[in-house]
Amino acid sequence: MTGRSMWSRCVGVAFAAVLAVSMAGCGAAKPTTGDGAAAETYKVGVILSLTGSYAALGASEKNALDIEAKRINDAGGVNGKKLELLIEDDGTDEAKAVAAASKLINQENVVAILGATGTGQSMAIRSEVDRAGIPEISMAGGTAITANFDPLVFQTPWSNTLIVPFVLKKVAADGHKKIALISDSGGYGKDGLAVLKVEAPKAGLEIVSEQTFNAGDTDFSAQLTKVKSSGADAVVLWTAGKEGASIVKSAGDLSVRLPLYGGSGQAKVEFPQGAGPAAEGFIFGTGKSLVPANWGDGSEQFTVVNGFAERYKAAYGSAPDIFAGHAFDALAILEDALKRSNGDTSPKALTAAVEGTKGLVGFGGAFTFSPTNHNGLTAEDLSLYQIKSGAWNAIP
Amino acid sequence: MAFSQFLQFAIAGLKSGAIYALIALGFTIVFAATGAINFAQGEFFMLGGMIGVWLTRLGLPLPAAVVGAVALTALLGALFEVLAIRPIADGDPLRIIMVTIGGSVLIRQIALHVFGPDEMPLQGFTAGPSIMIAGAAIERQTVWIWLITALAVSALFLLYRRTMFGRAMRATSLRRDAARLVGVDTGMMVTVSFALAAGLGALAGLAVAPLTQTAFDVGAGIGVKGFAAAILGGLGNPVAAVGGGLVLGLLESMTAGYINPLYKDAVALVVLLGVLFVRPQGLFGGSGREKV
Repeated sequence: MTGRSMWSRCVGVAFAAVLAVSMAGCGAAKPTTGDGAAAETYKVGVILSLTGSYAALGASEKNALDIEAKRINDAGGVNGKKLELLIEDDGTDEAKAVAAASKLINQENVVAILGATGTGQSMAIRSEVDRAGIPEISMAGGTAITANFDPLVFQTPWSNTLIVPFVLKKVAADGHKKIALISDSGGYGKDGLAVLKVEAPKAGLEIVSEQTFNAGDTDFSAQLTKVKSSGADAVVLWTAGKEGASIVKSAGDLSVRLPLYGGSGQAKVEFPQGAGPAAEGFIFGTGKSLVPANWGDGSEQFTVVNGFAERYKAAYGSAPDIFAGHAFDALAILEDALKRSNGDTSPKALTAAVEGTKGLVGFGGAFTFSPTNHNGLTAEDLSLYQIKSGAWNAIP
Repeated sequence: MAFSQFLQFAIAGLKSGAIYALIALGFTIVFAATGAINFAQGEFFMLGGMIGVWLTRLGLPLPAAVVGAVALTALLGALFEVLAIRPIADGDPLRIIMVTIGGSVLIRQIALHVFGPDEMPLQGFTAGPSIMIAGAAIERQTVWIWLITALAVSALFLLYRRTMFGRAMRATSLRRDAARLVGVDTGMMVTVSFALAAGLGALAGLAVAPLTQTAFDVGAGIGVKGFAAAILGGLGNPVAAVGGGLVLGLLESMTAGYINPLYKDAVALVVLLGVLFVRPQGLFGGSGREKV
């Protein structure tokens, strides 16, 4: 063996080792809290989209879960035991979400799963959850998550069935008659589109154009050009991914001068940041808690939401968005359920405890689940917002 | 109305087409020098945009950030070649291809760790409203994309045809051993071609980032499309790469406009398969006899 190829071999082995180590560091389960033997902690599986189209949502959710779990554990945990969050990244991909669920259930024996970030992923992991019998508390807003009923699955955001008619009422009130829809082809967008098609006629609106796009798309000229020539008075955008900002920006660049409306998917700072001046005047509907003051000083709702907002701001320097709020709620519901089940984490008992949640004041509103309602919120928990100069303000 | 719609689709097609042309050029240059496909080309596109955003966040004005990002990415391209490609025995194209595939994954993961997973916006090169022509809008950044592509292609043409250096590169690609015999440093030629390809990819990434935002994972998709464009045009010469890019861009845009936008991404793959089955030398690929 010559000196040169010996050297190449060493470099090759070192290269492969570095590659292996760096890849192992990505996407592995990251325990955020918990100490001591497994028996001393509640293992909670968490599936978030830390990369991919929903990366911004997943990041907010992780931030919220980290500080809230720490707060609960520092105060002694639940029933004297600490919460151990095992976080997996699903990359906004359904197959990866299923793999993550399988790993958490089979290898880690988690007592419940918080997640996923996205609708498609939340639906995809159902088979794993059903097999294990443990509760799934989803942080995604698709109607199908609870409308397509599964006794083990709950959701913390205001589902599309609540937000869509709420937004459409405003569209009609603003005097529009013909609307164009732009939605993504993933779970949340498809779900929203289905609800929009049902609710639009009820609100007196006619859908003159339905445009869709794939996550990861970067050019929307085709869809926007067709919207322009459809004769619509207004555009309703239904997506939660990063494409939302690009679409609105493109709309501005392509001179599509129509009023724009949207849902919770735009309630994140990345939206006005990415869309720029084109987002001026954009109206969207989401929870009152996006601006805690909406609840009025002194109400229990305000105390809870503002308290969380203050803690989040202290830890991260910026106010929490709704996705952080959904994660806060998921953990709060689980904590409350664990307390009520007196630490009985057997799947049946824990699920029953979650379902028994009554009047739990959280970010989304006051959650009351029942054997037929696993969303627990109402339209009273919603508010409209408009973007002005890059920031959102509540409007009546 | 129908014409302005068609025009808008055509403009969108030529915009993406110009980007694909730049990426395809990168593929062609490396192929010409090594006989191998550099599957990390898409990641250079990603690095250009990401480094550009990072430099603007450090406080550099946009023109400096653009130049800096292109230069840095070209340097990284050269480094990649020296560390990963040059040690490969015999310069075997198959091994080179495998290494570039691994390299692309590595670059992407490093970018994820360094820059995070979020999408990042880059401001347009000039501010201002879009230019309206016959009811269709041309974004200002699109004009920049066309300008940059035209400049890059002309510069490359001049480099290859009019300079001694370009002759040396062509000689290396035609017969490496013969070139070495007449005194060309073939190793250096390969490194330079990687640097050039990386620079072109970075340029494309920077030019389009203001329109689409950039993120650590945009490389893979654009790499496949640029590759399809290169194959469509014919891997032999730069003009073919540009032609292939523009044609692919238009095909995609018309499919999105007149058939279904959800099929847009499939067009590149269908084209790739079609070309390989029907006319593997590409639309403009000739028999490739050349004298230096």
